[in-house]
Amino acid sequence: MGAYSTSRILLIALGAIVLASLLPLGVSGYILGLLTIAYYFGVFAMAWDLLFGFAGEVNFGPTFLIGTGAYTAGILDNLYQPPIWICIAAGAFAAVIGGVVLALPALRVRGPYFGLTTLVAVLILQNFIVVDASLTGGEIGLTVPDVITISDARNYEIALWFMAISGAILFALARSPVGLILQASGQDAVQAGALGFNVTKHKLTAFIISAFFSGLAGAMLVFYFGSASVGTLVDITVGVQIIIAAVLGGRRTILGGVLGAVFLIAMSEALRPIGDLANFVVFAMALIVVLLFPGGLFGLLTRSRENG
Amino acid sequence: MLFWQILIDGFAISSLYALGATGFALIFGVSGVLNLSHGALMVAAVVAAWAAGDQLHAGPYAGAGLGVAVGFGATLLTYFLIVRPLQQSRKIREEEKEIFILTATLLWGIMIQELIAYLYTNNAKTVAPIVQGVVRIAGVRTPSNEIFTAVVCWLVIGVLWLLVNRTRAGKAVLAASMNPRGVTLLGIELSQIYIAVWAIYGALVGIAGVLLGMFLGVSSYSVGPLTASAFSIVVLGGLGSVSGALIAAYVVGYLETLTAYLVSPAYRTIPALLLLVAVMYVRPRGLLGRR
Amino acid sequence: MTDPNKRRHGLRLVLAIAIAGLFAASAWAQDGVTDKTIRIGMFGPLTGPVSIYGYPINDGAIAAYKAVNDAGGINGRKIEIVTYDNHSSAAESVRAFQRAASEDHVNAVIASYISEVVLALEPWTGRLKTVMVTPGAASDVITQNIAKDYDNLKYTFHGYLTSTSLSDLVCAAAKDLLVNQLHMKTAVVMSEDAAWTTPLDAEYVKCLPQIGLQVLDHIRVSPDTTDFTPIFNKIEGEKPDVMITGISHVGVQPTAQWKQQEVPIPMFGISSQATNSSFWNDTNGAVEGVLYQAVSGPDVAVTPKTLPFVNAFKAKYGNFPSYCGYTAYDEVYYLADAFKRAGSTDPDKLVDALEKTDYVGTIGRVQFKGKDSPNPHALKVGPDTITGLMLQWQDGKQTNLWPANVANGKLKFPKFIKIGSTN
Repeated sequence: MGAYSTSRILLIALGAIVLASLLPLGVSGYILGLLTIAYYFGVFAMAWDLLFGFAGEVNFGPTFLIGTGAYTAGILDNLYQPPIWICIAAGAFAAVIGGVVLALPALRVRGPYFGLTTLVAVLILQNFIVVDASLTGGEIGLTVPDVITISDARNYEIALWFMAISGAILFALARSPVGLILQASGQDAVQAGALGFNVTKHKLTAFIISAFFSGLAGAMLVFYFGSASVGTLVDITVGVQIIIAAVLGGRRTILGGVLGAVFLIAMSEALRPIGDLANFVVFAMALIVVLLFPGGLFGLLTRSRENG
Repeated sequence: MLFWQILIDGFAISSLYALGATGFALIFGVSGVLNLSHGALMVAAVVAAWAAGDQLHAGPYAGAGLGVAVGFGATLLTYFLIVRPLQQSRKIREEEKEIFILTATLLWGIMIQELIAYLYTNNAKTVAPIVQGVVRIAGVRTPSNEIFTAVVCWLVIGVLWLLVNRTRAGKAVLAASMNPRGVTLLGIELSQIYIAVWAIYGALVGIAGVLLGMFLGVSSYSVGPLTASAFSIVVLGGLGSVSGALIAAYVVGYLETLTAYLVSPAYRTIPALLLLVAVMYVRPRGLLGRR
Repeated sequence: MTDPNKRRHGLRLVLAIAIAGLFAASAWAQDGVTDKTIRIGMFGPLTGPVSIYGYPINDGAIAAYKAVNDAGGINGRKIEIVTYDNHSSAAESVRAFQRAASEDHVNAVIASYISEVVLALEPWTGRLKTVMVTPGAASDVITQNIAKDYDNLKYTFHGYLTSTSLSDLVCAAAKDLLVNQLHMKTAVVMSEDAAWTTPLDAEYVKCLPQIGLQVLDHIRVSPDTTDFTPIFNKIEGEKPDVMITGISHVGVQPTAQWKQQEVPIPMFGISSQATNSSFWNDTNGAVEGVLYQAVSGPDVAVTPKTLPFVNAFKAKYGNFPSYCGYTAYDEVYYLADAFKRAGSTDPDKLVDALEKTDYVGTIGRVQFKGKDSPNPHALKVGPDTITGLMLQWQDGKQTNLWPANVANGKLKFPKFIKIGSTN
């Protein structure tokens, strides 16, 4: 993968996290807010990378899982107002169920068909949310009565450590024997199957894990914003941004997802003065990285062989 | 009465779908590329035609011509800037190239969408129709533009068929879609074939886009749905089969029209979606698919 | 795909929030709150497709709050405007609001013409105890929420017309123009399937029969619709005298196709995109004969303040402000007035003062409904307060036809329209 060993990477990452946790001491609430969102996005990207980078499945609809988790948590809170952590747990659970429901038909097909299935799943969820407006708030979104906290610093720390722990789990998983099998299945399913591995079972596991983290992070986001909407959590554009963050960060690196997410959000902010053209420029930059540095940002940082 | 209305409307919509999907199928069939910027290229053609009318005060013919030219140019740009460099890249493993091309064309499509929204807002745009007024067919009041659309679509498809089946260059393209290596053995440059195919695709996209703009109109939001629609039709017809795509386009077009008229316009897209799901389960290679 | 209603209404429609007091924060920002200033935050998509209008609007808007400052400010304190670019996004708006209240210590916020954004911000006005006045957005839910949780949500004021009010105003205009003048008897309601049209349609179905128009059918159209042929076909089959519309997200396509197919039934009601002066070009003239409701129109003196404001704006930027421009402009003034009457920036006192607002602005007389109404803090409508207008596109111009005292034209339809008798 790169010239760096697993433990070295983890050590560097830990150092970065500790540094990052000190930010609230000197940085404005605005930037903390930005980074909070970037961290949650990072979790989305890491979860996607597990599926794509490792299991080799192009998931065009990460927002199906995210949206399922987020809306379940939000609707639950609206209807019964249980403690927040119950809503969040319910969201993660719902996302896992959604992941299984999606995986069963999706894993029976290959390549572009898989992508199409995941895309259709997002469209169906979106339609359902918009049509069932009395329950979900429709296309203008759902507001929830509770939020985790209104303190910028506390939200930031929560997001940071949530991302750190999720990242650690996902990374460890990826480097574990299970992860290696996933990689093998992703790159050459036939051979992996010939070697005796139950490819489908492993891919399903990857799906479930990806779904769990996506739904969990989605639910937490709802209680950060105090609202959920199709435009922020379900729309295909959001899914695309997640994919870009993961690919930009470096596929099959897991941690690259965080790099990609932070990079995208930082760039969007930095380019704010030029307005909506900023989106165009950010995507253009992402495109250039994809074309010229297939190893992504992580690859650049670790001077991976892929980047030549 | 309703029967004729459905027949005529369905035909017009299906023809338009057919033109767009044919290009998409051609590109996948010959060069194995699923171009996810398909919708963006069509919308670019429409917006160019609209801008020509709105800002340059060009007449309908000039506007349409500019639109087709822009669609054509943007498609070729897609090939030379994005697809070809990735296909020839030495830094990416072969089996991963498909995914990179998918992601890159997706990104490229979004870039175009953002650029259009930035320059011209995301309000819908229509192109001044070349043919105006209505005619009565079997008692149904039909805009002449609709008939024009269907006629042009079939003319273009006809020319395409002639090209592929009757000319040497066309036959080379057909051969390349079946066996790229075999074609090179015959001394034909594959790269030239690819350029030819993308050029044809560009023309198809440009014409389909402008026709769509005149008939229904588009906005920058149409980019995603247009790509998804072409993708679905091509999957239904069988990835890689152009005739499959043609047939599938009519199946989808008429399914939608029948639903819109007989059930409700709100459920228009559902039967086609269900059919797609069913086909993927029962016969994943589509109606006439080969790969 | 599906988008919040009214997002991207059209070029100018959008940023006119700025009209009332935007200016580049970098030029004017100060650190922290001082005793010398009252800060008003303005939210809007400052950049993007409308930015070419945004910056000139900034300058022009300076005149609004400058006038207040020149006249002595508010009890000796000058107004300062802080702008926040929210990219029309609910998520960004929430963040910007948190920043505005916690860091920039704004005393009030003028935010959004998008219902999704307003609804996302509403609970935060209570959590952070900061007053928000909206220059746009039609959702009834905004004010219904206030009724359900007054103590927390009283900080929100809906400075534009609710969907229900819009319906009532359309019915009032329809009574004069369609029933009394054209003797119409039947109608079909056609609206996009969106959250804002649910109360709109419910009210249409109630008020249209009351003015003499029988509602034959009520058709809701998916906002993603691209082909309106089956819909027009269905409507035509029912032979109504008129189509009463409720469309905002769609506009160009149904209008262009209506003309192309030569549907012989006129369109009357809410068509948000038709309010844009660029709509004629956007539809290549297909909008000829379409009647649409608006709160302002070219050369229409709704109040004595309307035309001076419009002319000053047009002189500077060469085009007319969109509806948010009028409302946001008025809001700076009546917010300033409320601060004055409250004698302090305390949010609760400001709320009390705002509730007593009685201000003649550019679109009519602004008064808010009280705590006991089912829609607290919504605008009052009626002949004494706000009536809106009914305009028709004629030969490339937006002509006002109602109310009669500010009308500058007469009804005129394209040849393919058949009025009265059987269609």
